[in-house]
Amino acid sequence: MPELFDAHKRMHEELAGVKRLIDSGRFRSLWGSLVVEPKAQFESQNENEKVVILGRRHFITNISWIALVCFAFFVPFFWNEFPLVADVTDNVHFSLTVLWYLALAFFAVQKFLLWFYNVYIVTDERIVDVDFFGLLYKNVNVTEIRKIEDVNYSQRGVWASFFNYGNVVIETASEQRSDEVFGKTGEASPFTFEAISSPDEVVKVISELMEQEEKEEYEGRTK
Amino acid sequence: MEILPGIYIDISLSLVVGLMIKTLMVLILVFSVIMVRQASMMDRVVNLPIGNTLKKVVWAFFVLAAVLTFVVVVA
Repeated sequence: MPELFDAHKRMHEELAGVKRLIDSGRFRSLWGSLVVEPKAQFESQNENEKVVILGRRHFITNISWIALVCFAFFVPFFWNEFPLVADVTDNVHFSLTVLWYLALAFFAVQKFLLWFYNVYIVTDERIVDVDFFGLLYKNVNVTEIRKIEDVNYSQRGVWASFFNYGNVVIETASEQRSDEVFGKTGEASPFTFEAISSPDEVVKVISELMEQEEKEEYEGRTK
Repeated sequence: MEILPGIYIDISLSLVVGLMIKTLMVLILVFSVIMVRQASMMDRVVNLPIGNTLKKVVWAFFVLAAVLTFVVVVA
């Protein structure tokens, strides 16, 4: 058994895609959209399972709510321009300003948390897609690498091409969907890595992991 | 304005807006409690080294919201 594990580890170290990403030095920050071999763990992680890639939506996809927050930040400076607000007492004026900034901060923190923790994890054994919806709902999809049938990616639009992000769609043998929420998201598969940074590199790494799994399975059969 | 015999209340715009603001402040406070719970749940699902810092930020937001809600509701 230890021999098998060593062989597995040795093969993993030989993954060219991972090595190339590490060598590029761009994918090491945990705040980034794509992190290679991060010091991260997840809920259902097995003992010897190693996280190869941790991805999340490209940071640039947050630009719309960041712009909205920036715009809303200056609204209280013009309170007196609003007819009804101009008529309230100073006390209420102050309370309204406090409420406005508190709500804005809540919105920003909430949006940031959802971006930060909606992650796609590729390990040497499995693919994990963690989705949080709003305040109280989470959806975790897990599949084994050997069950993957097809991996492809798409980049649409000027922003996606310019900032090099896109959707990675992973087709599995199983058609079972974890929840109804999946249907509402409009994703092509339960394992869709949406707006992930460098989708081509992610696809290469997953393909290499699939090849590795096939090789292991073949060697297991011939032994 | 007499709402009940002998009980008068002066309903002004400030009173109505003030009441709405206080209600919304309490609502945000409730949401921030949920957010604290959510942050710790997220950290359990995906454990990252900077998760603790984020939890502290969310707790700080909750404390700030509690203090401000207290000030606004009491004021």
